Amino acid sequence: MELEIKHLKKRFGAAAAVDDVSCTMHQGVYGLLGVNGAGKTTLMRMLCTLVHPTAGEITYNGRDIFEMDAQYRNLLGYLPQEFGFYPDFTVEEYLSYISAIKGLRPAVAGKRTRELLRQMGLSEVRKKKMKKLSGGMKRRVGIAQAILNDPEILILDEPTVGLDPNERIRFRNLISELAHERLVLLSTHIVSDVEYIADQILLMKDGRLMHSGTSEEIVAAMEERVWNCVVSHKEASECMRRYKVANVKPAQEQLMLRVLSAEKPMADAVELEPTLEDAFLYYFGSPAQEFAKGGEHHGLL
Amino acid sequence: MVYYEIKKVFSRMSSRIALTLLLVTLAVTCWFAVMGVYYVNENGDEEKGITAIHKLREQKKEWAGLLTEERIAEVISENARINATAQAKSEDFQENDIAYSKKQGFDDIRRLLVYSYGDFNNYDYYLPDRLSPDDAGMFYPNRILHLEEWLRGDAKDLFTEREKQFLIEKYKGLETPLVYDYMEGWLQASQYAPTVIMITVLLLGFLTANIFSGEFQTKADAVFFSSYHGRKKAITAKIKAGFWITTGIYWIVMLLYSAVVLGILGTDGASCPIQAVPGGWKSFYSVTNLQQYLLVLAGGYIGSLFLMFLTMLISAKVRLAVVAVTVPFIMIFLPSFLSTDRIAGLLPDQLLQMNMVIRQFNLYELGEKVLGAAPILPILYTVLTLVMIPVLYQIYRRAQLR
Repeated sequence: MELEIKHLKKRFGAAAAVDDVSCTMHQGVYGLLGVNGAGKTTLMRMLCTLVHPTAGEITYNGRDIFEMDAQYRNLLGYLPQEFGFYPDFTVEEYLSYISAIKGLRPAVAGKRTRELLRQMGLSEVRKKKMKKLSGGMKRRVGIAQAILNDPEILILDEPTVGLDPNERIRFRNLISELAHERLVLLSTHIVSDVEYIADQILLMKDGRLMHSGTSEEIVAAMEERVWNCVVSHKEASECMRRYKVANVKPAQEQLMLRVLSAEKPMADAVELEPTLEDAFLYYFGSPAQEFAKGGEHHGLL
Repeated sequence: MVYYEIKKVFSRMSSRIALTLLLVTLAVTCWFAVMGVYYVNENGDEEKGITAIHKLREQKKEWAGLLTEERIAEVISENARINATAQAKSEDFQENDIAYSKKQGFDDIRRLLVYSYGDFNNYDYYLPDRLSPDDAGMFYPNRILHLEEWLRGDAKDLFTEREKQFLIEKYKGLETPLVYDYMEGWLQASQYAPTVIMITVLLLGFLTANIFSGEFQTKADAVFFSSYHGRKKAITAKIKAGFWITTGIYWIVMLLYSAVVLGILGTDGASCPIQAVPGGWKSFYSVTNLQQYLLVLAGGYIGSLFLMFLTMLISAKVRLAVVAVTVPFIMIFLPSFLSTDRIAGLLPDQLLQMNMVIRQFNLYELGEKVLGAAPILPILYTVLTLVMIPVLYQIYRRAQLR
């Protein structure tokens, strides 16, 4: 299984939502990480044949996915960021309908629907109308519809938005289970969503892929190091103007800052082990000088 | 998939309310159609309801049969005889109504005399009262003579020579003597059918406007279009759902309406030509009451399908049900504000009122052939509907998310 993106571009008027993106994906979990507006959703929509690229191509095992048409969509499961549904359908009806448009035979569809209702903890609400479900429940139905056809390629756009911490953990575990013999592409702007489960992380900014690799590789590629600095409130303010600060924590009368800097920011700074969240700040956080110019902003993400 | 598409439409509360409203409107229209028939009893009082209908039927049945010269003379004589009674001459309306109660059996034929003996575009209610039985021989020739006079006079510039010839030939081709019978069922059913059809079409527009825009409005488009059948079979399912909803609701409503009205008022006179009733005297189409009613139903059905597919097309294009739902309104009511140009006679609203179409003189020349609007409309809009289907399919198939 190989999903290849070659010099993919998508313009909306003068703005480039996706700008010359290339990458190759195989089986495993891919985390597409970027701030809001980075072009993640547009890229995913192109991968789901929902939007045609302005230039470039996407191939599955060497074949253009738009030419493959239904054959490609048969391999696909998609949970969009804005998961729309039919409000007056019950959960069961909704999944049965999606089974039908996914081409599942009625007997298989019934069995699969029951299986997923159980797996997703939706059995008790199967007769409930979609519009009456809680946000978390709706997301679960969203996942269920995405995997109804047992897809080889599973694309999940911001799947954890609106989920509480428990549901988020539960969801991460589910993704790990689903990743077996599948290609899962998961977009998010929440670092912890991908940190533990993604085999490969793709960093996207302003429509471009800035970097890709494993969590460790991305962290290792940082040209700045991470420091723990205990400073006074006055020093903290100065520090935030000069450096990217990943975290601020009160420590008695002082503040403990997690600072990104190539150089040791102050004499008593202690070097820390960098995390993916630090890398996120490193790649997506604005340069310290810009904050300094802004006056009211500081380097804290 | 078709089942779920239909379910999407009917699972909405607004659809159920709309259907209930349609049923209420249908009941009210049936009531008007049935209560529009009245009988004047020997005391000059108006009676309505099923018993009154039976009494009127009985009286009209006495005059059923061929409208020969003798029968026309008989009507003129009987009309004159009643006019000579004290009740008819009285200045008391109640007394006049008693006189009318004796005329109501042949009132349809009496009113045919108004059309036959009066000028083509004049209506003189009292004209039959001035006729003598000797005039009966001109009953049928007058129809052609007055048309010819009209075509030479007022309508001189309205038609080409070929069209004038066509009309005269059609008039001459009418099989006479006409057969008359009690036919209130067909008259009332045909008269109120366009109202029922138009209301049904407006409701259908409301139901079908959402079939193609629903996915966009509920944001279910991403899942729909990324599914295996999303750009093929699922679209066909939507088209089929639109077709079946239109077909199902249209025929249920119209058959229910027909059953109630014809069931109460009767189906007598089905094979009588429409020229045997005053409103149809001038029509150049040689059709019976039954054929006219079938034309009304068929025209309404084709019109409904055309308007629903147009609604769905607009809905797929603009992705907004609120815009698409206005299509039937515009197509039904806008032509009323347009000129009376012949083009207006070919607009889709005409299909919803075929009983009017066959009473109008809208003629069209196709090469050397002259045709009335009635045979053109169903063919034209069937073709246009069939053309719209692949266009609708392609619009939806190529839709991209915005």
